[in-house]
Amino acid sequence: MNGYSKKNGLTVVSVMVACLIGMALFGWNISASAGEQPAGVVGLSRVETLRLGENIYRKGILPSGKPVTAIVQGDMPIDGTMFSCESCHMRSGLGSFEGGVVTTPTNGANIYKPQFTLRRLTPSEMEKIPRYLAPLYLAPPRRPAYTDETLAVALHEGVDPSGRILHPVMPRYFLDDRDMKILVYYLKALSAEPSTGVTDTTIRFATVVTDKVPPEERDAVLAPLEKYVSGRNSRAKTFETRAKYGFFAESMDLSYRRLSLSRWELQGPPETWRRQLEEYYRQEPVFAILGGITSGEWQPVHDFSEEHRIPCILPITDFPVISETAWYTLYFSKGLYQEGEAVARHLGMTIDLPPDKVVVQIFHDTREGRAFSAGFQETWQGLGRQPPLNRALRTGETITKEFLQQLTDREKPAVILLWAGPEAVAALETIAASANRPELVYLSSTLLKQSLAKLPDQARDFTYVTYPYALPQGASAQLNQDQTKVPQTATTVRIIEKMRSLSLILTDALMMMGSNYYRDRFLEVIDMMQDKPRSYTNYERLSFGPGQRYASKGCYILQLGKGLNPELIRKSDWVIH
Amino acid sequence: MSTRSLLLTVCFLATLAVLAHASIAEAADRKYTRSIESYTVPDVTLVDQNGKKIPFKSYVETDQPVVLDFIYATCTTICPVLSASFLNLQNRLGPDAPKARLISITIDPEHDTPKIMKDYLKRYRAKPGWDFLTGSRADIDRVMRAFNAYIPDKMSHYQLTLIRSPRDGKWVRIKELISSQELLEEFRQAWKK
Ligand code: HEC
Repeated sequence: MNGYSKKNGLTVVSVMVACLIGMALFGWNISASAGEQPAGVVGLSRVETLRLGENIYRKGILPSGKPVTAIVQGDMPIDGTMFSCESCHMRSGLGSFEGGVVTTPTNGANIYKPQFTLRRLTPSEMEKIPRYLAPLYLAPPRRPAYTDETLAVALHEGVDPSGRILHPVMPRYFLDDRDMKILVYYLKALSAEPSTGVTDTTIRFATVVTDKVPPEERDAVLAPLEKYVSGRNSRAKTFETRAKYGFFAESMDLSYRRLSLSRWELQGPPETWRRQLEEYYRQEPVFAILGGITSGEWQPVHDFSEEHRIPCILPITDFPVISETAWYTLYFSKGLYQEGEAVARHLGMTIDLPPDKVVVQIFHDTREGRAFSAGFQETWQGLGRQPPLNRALRTGETITKEFLQQLTDREKPAVILLWAGPEAVAALETIAASANRPELVYLSSTLLKQSLAKLPDQARDFTYVTYPYALPQGASAQLNQDQTKVPQTATTVRIIEKMRSLSLILTDALMMMGSNYYRDRFLEVIDMMQDKPRSYTNYERLSFGPGQRYASKGCYILQLGKGLNPELIRKSDWVIH
Repeated sequence: MSTRSLLLTVCFLATLAVLAHASIAEAADRKYTRSIESYTVPDVTLVDQNGKKIPFKSYVETDQPVVLDFIYATCTTICPVLSASFLNLQNRLGPDAPKARLISITIDPEHDTPKIMKDYLKRYRAKPGWDFLTGSRADIDRVMRAFNAYIPDKMSHYQLTLIRSPRDGKWVRIKELISSQELLEEFRQAWKK
């Protein structure tokens, strides 16, 4: 109760009560017939009530279109545009823990149930619990079940049904009778039933693979995943016995479930994937999608998971959907787009290129080329820069000597971004010899692959390379060789290592979720995870946070030392500012 | 304006008036713990919400009063309240708001880019004078260490408000969430000649 004066509290309460009486006298009961659809409250249909309730809960917007208003921390007026119930209680309503403040669950199932915890854990006790288990200890202290009336009192005045004054961080809301009814109706429906795909014994997952994926890459995804699932299931007996007869039948054991993993194999062109996914889902209503790999785009799977609100955790793709609002797919990174982004930040912030210098992007007009160039251009313009000159090569067009000479003679670029594979080696020789040599060239190690080491010596001084992983020297994570019998190429090694990260994250997430089998909660507990350093991943770091959907945020910019087996020289931080 | 929203507005304002009155009367008996500290501000370059480079040391060591906190754009529960308190301080200072230098430093520098920080400030309707800074992880770590606020992971974040008086360069350190009235009092104290 620090910083919150009781006397203030009482005065606030009395003013609010007076207001409420006023509202009651004026009376805003709208009574209309509910029509054919299932009814919600205040004369609205169920669907409409839930939509309006969700707007209050998630966006802080009242049915009138105005933001919700409230008082926080005793005397601070706030409104719904700054933050909403969701900012603290999370999308699922199951609460959070941050800065020593426990935000208790606020979904109907928890609110309308008496609580028996005699004493809440203190912030310092809370700190001693392993971080990943903290979400399991969000129970509010002892109180009777709420009723619609006492819930309204808690939201208006911050007093729970036992008379306890709620922490002043919980805002005291100004909500009229009608809006309160709509919000309460929403809370009752929020995380009311466990999500689809979970039974008393099993959580069902699926993974997605498409027919054009090279067999070794497909195996690199499937073998570790299937091995993880069978390994976990073989330990299930112990947990089941402990939960049944164990002296310490802990909630953790009770929440232990076997996992099942379906393979959803997609055939044919991407336009047909959605229909196939729907059909698989009808037959096997899974809780979430794990990993997966497609040749080319991921968009159809992304849309499927977004629309059905099915979490999709860490798929293998170079083409994540770049979005600030999509919620259900957690990607490893922004893929190729992120390399373009890193070049823009390096060139704009670190090199600080003078604004009058010309930047040219050369790329093939393919999915790859467009991802790199969009990543660069959007970030570059976000830095307040003029758009670059884009030279998109049509199908069949190659980067010839003439092409390059014409380009450098005509545009005199200071910087060339060459989003090209092994052909970049010869191009770089031409550029190095040309009269109007640009000051800097950027390339992608992802596209160059083995050709990285073949870049001409005479070009290495002015050439920078994007490298979206942790650098190989130093304590790189040791691969568990017998994890799979897959022949190991550079690409499959990366995939296997990513699947290892996925399995480590999944183990934590399942533990943190406890028996709250709600899809939204599954993503939220991952959001609450600590950063995963290099021992967990082949990226420099994976990090999470509410709504953050690209776990690796970085990409190195390197230069090459001289010789056949060149040193990789780091020219940037992992994340460039 | 409908009767309903009129009435709500009246209630809202009435509550505020009562709050302001009650808090002034009680400002004397402090409900929170605070300490006075001296810090050596590191000479690092950070980046603000406009992508502008900020020489941190000279930016902080000014003849304006400074209020500083550590937040991140996607943080739950405490950052919303810390940020609401910055906005309220600006509102309560009225025309004096630009004289206060409010600095939020991200503890999630990998995620919090200028664009994200700008959107965040916009959401809170921040006025000029409140900046949100990011930087390299190493520099952010140095800043956290300098203010004895280092945490190895953003998930072990706690609330902290630091107020620097231009008089003597000393800092008031408040390690809990306080009311808007209390922050205003602290601020005035730091500003007094
Ligand atoms: C700034 C963070 C924050 C926001 C925003 C917020 N809450 Fe809370 N809420 C809390 C905290 C913290 C608690 C726990 C207080 C305590 O136990 O002392 C809480 C407690 C509650 C409780 C009491 C739970 C119980 O079991 O007694 C309810 C109900 C509740 N909130 C509903 C809501 C609703 C509905 C909204 C949006 C209209 C909302 N909260 C917005 C932080 C917040």
